[in-house]
Amino acid sequence: MSDNNDTKEKVTIASDWLCGCAGCHMSFLDIDERIIELVQQATLMSTPITDLKHPPESGVTVGILEGGINNSANEAVAKMMRERSKILIALGDCAVFGGVPAMRNAVGIQAALERAYIDSESTVDGQIPDDPEIACMQLTRPVDQVVPVDIYVPGCAPSADAIWYVLTELLAGRMPELQGKTLDWH
Amino acid sequence: MPKVNLTIDDRKVQAEYGQTVYEAATEAGIYIPTLCHHPALKPEGACRVCLVEIERQRSLQPSCTFPVSEGLVIHTSSPKVLEARKFVLDLIFSERVHYCMFCAVSGSQANTQCELQQLGYENHMTHWQFPENTCADWPVDATREYFFMDHSRCILCRRCIRACDDIVANHTLGLMNRGIHTMIIADANAPLGESTCVSCGTCLQVCPTGALIDRRSAYMGGAQDITETPATCVACPVGCGIEIVTRSNNLLRVEGDWDAANGGLLCVTGRFETCEPQADRVTQPMVRNGDAWQEVSWGEALAAAANGLKGVGSVAGLVTPRATTETLTAFKALMGDALHSDQAGLLYGDTPEVWGARATLQDVPAADLLVVVGANPLEDQKVIGYLAKRAADKGARIVVVNDEATELDPWARQRLPMSQIGDVAALVAGAHKPVVLYGVGLAEDVKAALRSLPEMVRFMPLYTGTNAAAAAELGLSAGPVEAQALYVLAGDDLPKPDDGHLPAAQFTVVQAAYRSAWTDAANVVLPARVWTEQDGHIVNIEGRVLPVVAATTAPASVAADTKTMADIAELMAR
Repeated sequence: MSDNNDTKEKVTIASDWLCGCAGCHMSFLDIDERIIELVQQATLMSTPITDLKHPPESGVTVGILEGGINNSANEAVAKMMRERSKILIALGDCAVFGGVPAMRNAVGIQAALERAYIDSESTVDGQIPDDPEIACMQLTRPVDQVVPVDIYVPGCAPSADAIWYVLTELLAGRMPELQGKTLDWH
Repeated sequence: MPKVNLTIDDRKVQAEYGQTVYEAATEAGIYIPTLCHHPALKPEGACRVCLVEIERQRSLQPSCTFPVSEGLVIHTSSPKVLEARKFVLDLIFSERVHYCMFCAVSGSQANTQCELQQLGYENHMTHWQFPENTCADWPVDATREYFFMDHSRCILCRRCIRACDDIVANHTLGLMNRGIHTMIIADANAPLGESTCVSCGTCLQVCPTGALIDRRSAYMGGAQDITETPATCVACPVGCGIEIVTRSNNLLRVEGDWDAANGGLLCVTGRFETCEPQADRVTQPMVRNGDAWQEVSWGEALAAAANGLKGVGSVAGLVTPRATTETLTAFKALMGDALHSDQAGLLYGDTPEVWGARATLQDVPAADLLVVVGANPLEDQKVIGYLAKRAADKGARIVVVNDEATELDPWARQRLPMSQIGDVAALVAGAHKPVVLYGVGLAEDVKAALRSLPEMVRFMPLYTGTNAAAAAELGLSAGPVEAQALYVLAGDDLPKPDDGHLPAAQFTVVQAAYRSAWTDAANVVLPARVWTEQDGHIVNIEGRVLPVVAATTAPASVAADTKTMADIAELMAR
């Protein structure tokens, strides 16, 4: 490991996913062997695909949220990530815009629930779950309608190169400015 | 006209009097982004993306509508302009649901087919500042067969309205309500499929976003994935310039060529119907074995065809008028030199007779008098019909001379029966740019009356067979044929539902791309190429020779039509 680590406090990163498809995290993993370079310079504190799921109370340098917010649980996760992150990144079209899940806003929550749990072709005697422990469904919103976002990385999913660019710019102490090949809403 | 001196971004620029600031800047190579503006359409000033700072003007001005004047000092990328541009884009993106991730025209910066997304990229937008109303239930109108409208993607640029008004002269599209409630509508808010829309697709071609989407080619490839081949439409003898859009040897769609004589305009047949996939492609030669078909090698099939044609007395030939001039020439050689037949004619349709000064496509909308004699262009040569309506919009007088009703009648100022053809001379005498559009099969006295019109009159024959003019030049007849053996070159043509019968013969060879009532009547079927697989030329209704360009490669087992005929000719000579 580089000598830097002994003298300088390591950057810490936490991530979580909300109403998304995990595709942005897959794209994150697509940085491939560069992840070794990343963990030399930063510590991954918590992610949905590692043992620790919650960002530490002491906070992290960079928080990453994938997915929009579509229920009370998402809202709580987003608020916690915001509170515990110096810099919050909205990763992917769902986090930035609401994305594909926001399509259901046009039909309304009740109609969407009925379609999913009662009317779907494979359902017999279905019922809409109403256990009080289950999170309450909300209209799908982009992250910045719930908590302030510092960096927007659009894309469905953003490319590994775009994610790598954003992280390396932050590690170098610069704010990333997405444009050209790293800016892709597609 | 004196030039106008301007300063754009500290550069001295000269412009023509009457130009807009946008035109002057573009000609000087200075980029100003636009959305509602389209070079083929009149400026509208609807989107405000092209705002520029003009000194001594109180506020930012849309460059696409602002006329140049002496001494203007213009800034196209000052901080104030850039801020306003981004703000305008923020507003446009926020107004409806512009979610690129599930839009058919979305792509990366290099691959997108959406002008709005392109501007988002250009302005480094990672998000937009106002949340859109995702709860609004924007309607999707999918009542038309070939393309649909998704209002959630509409930016109200009005390009579609202007295209429908100014290019097609159909006036179907318009606006309803005001402000954020504004909607593009057809007629008095009718579903598009039940409206006066003629599905020419011109609006689809000018739409800058994914609001209008072609059903067949949606999601089938972005700007980098597709190949555009400039070619000529072979659906009718108008010969419109087209771009054939393909990907990996698949035909995706057809677009109108803005630079061709038709100026981007096409009809439902040329843009959509011609792309419809047909079932039952003939890819292997076949010989009839009793009631069954047997796929055989080319050698066997050609030998069977040659033997059959040799074994009977008289031979006649029929050819599709969709064939290129090169194919027609080969067909004529086969019939005359190899088969010694004096009966070589068209499968359907008439050959045109031409006289006088020929009218060009541009002459039609520029005419002040259009006399349409014994023809129904809005049905048979639709683009000519649209051009005629464009002339009517500009005040031209349309006179329909016909004993039957035609689609153009509602735009006619006068209708005459054929018996009053003599009145045309007096009408023409009072016109400056008269054009006579005449059909085929006219009575001799009608033709004589038209031929005797003064020299200033321009004539356009309105026949139906795509390359019938070249067939006429080659001496191929229109009339029926009768013989003991029949050679039919159907190409990719299909029989009309009401007229699917070939003349009876003892032995029939059909060279066709698809199985049909024609191939059913054959003893030998030889594969033929379809229109996107052929190189060659056609002669159009203006008398111009236009290139037919192959955009896809034929299956390896389908030989060129000319080669097949040359092979038969060689076998006949042995």
